[in-house]
Amino acid sequence: MKCDEVELKMIDYLDNNLDSGVRREIEKHLETCESCLDELKESQQILNSISKDEMVKPDDSLRINFYHMLHSEINKSEKKSKVQEHKPATPWYNNSSYRVAAGIALLICGTFIGLLLHSGFNASLASDELKQLHSEVSDLKKTAMFTMLKEESSSERIQAVRYVEDIDQPDQNVIEVLVRTLNTDRNVNVRMAAAYALSKFADQRMVCDSLVKSLSLQSDPILQVTLINILAERKEKSALKPIQEIIANRSTLKEVRAVAQNSLRVLI
Amino acid sequence: MAESTDEIVMENVKKGNLTEMSVLFERYHLRVYNFFFRLTFDMDVSQDLTQNLFYRMIKYKNSYKSEYSVKSWIFQIARNLHADYCKKEKRSGELFLKTEKYTVEPADDTEGFHEDEYERLERAMSDLSVEQKEIIVLSRFQGMKYEEISEITHQSVGAIKVAMYRAIRQLRGIYFKQI
Repeated sequence: MKCDEVELKMIDYLDNNLDSGVRREIEKHLETCESCLDELKESQQILNSISKDEMVKPDDSLRINFYHMLHSEINKSEKKSKVQEHKPATPWYNNSSYRVAAGIALLICGTFIGLLLHSGFNASLASDELKQLHSEVSDLKKTAMFTMLKEESSSERIQAVRYVEDIDQPDQNVIEVLVRTLNTDRNVNVRMAAAYALSKFADQRMVCDSLVKSLSLQSDPILQVTLINILAERKEKSALKPIQEIIANRSTLKEVRAVAQNSLRVLI
Repeated sequence: MAESTDEIVMENVKKGNLTEMSVLFERYHLRVYNFFFRLTFDMDVSQDLTQNLFYRMIKYKNSYKSEYSVKSWIFQIARNLHADYCKKEKRSGELFLKTEKYTVEPADDTEGFHEDEYERLERAMSDLSVEQKEIIVLSRFQGMKYEEISEITHQSVGAIKVAMYRAIRQLRGIYFKQI
């Protein structure tokens, strides 16, 4: 065999991809040709360097951003499919959610006009009225949420859950409804939205506990992953037990188990 | 629960069950991220490109044809994204100025890799053409077979082998000249 032939087969030789006859021919050539032998050694060293190389771990934000993106894409597609469902459209004002939204809009306009007419008002009065306005809007959003959660279409129920995200201090009632939605809504995307909404208030012990409890109730992989991520991000030690149960459960999806195991590193 | 193949998962995504994308994300994000990282040696860029890839998979889910494996499709998109990135970088004239240092956190805490060996490999790699880099990364870092690479790059196995051989020869030249 000649040098250029050997050179062409070098990688296959190093990868052990040649039959024994060709191998022997190359080895015979290498015994007498020093430059080919050097080349072989150098190639081997490079391939070794590369194979020694380890996978680099991306930042945790990659996973978090992905799930946020997925969440919003799901919402978008739900909305789109809803528009298609309603082709022979009912007038917008007959739709209960729009009615509630219009109510909120009217109230805000009305109060602002009221504030404007109140030309002589002093600063403390203004802030009082704004505070009141704020709490009235909060109340309306709450009402809107309770009404819309009873809707048939899942996209309206998602919208309902999202109203909560605008409430600064949701009361016990709101939290309970959200937890119930997280645990019992028949649509996985609504449950996901509830999980994200609740995660905003996870500083409250009660909310955090119900997220932990929900973890052992959920069997949908995406919800398991979402909850594990939320709780691991908060370094919530009480999640340890349900996470270990998920790992031990034989019906757990491999990908979920990997996420769960990954979270143990933060939690233990 | 029986493990679904990538192809079944992707068909479900196409049907509108977007939540299943999380399965593909968990299966592939580490590999894809490392593919970008070996090509760009930039962690932030690799993170953005990986993020973008999964976004494109959702957005163009209907362009997935079952004649390819999902893995090939993913890496076809990855190559396109990297090509777009190179074009943009070239325009801003930064492509060959990237020599800044980076820190690396290995995925496992097993024995480390010598920093200088890393840097030498990085510098040698950065002198290769994009096509050569891609073939080395797919074949050596990602451990793909020539047949798989052929499906991704639409080149024959023979052509890939020759390109691989040239890439290693060139790498050898750069790598050992550095000492």
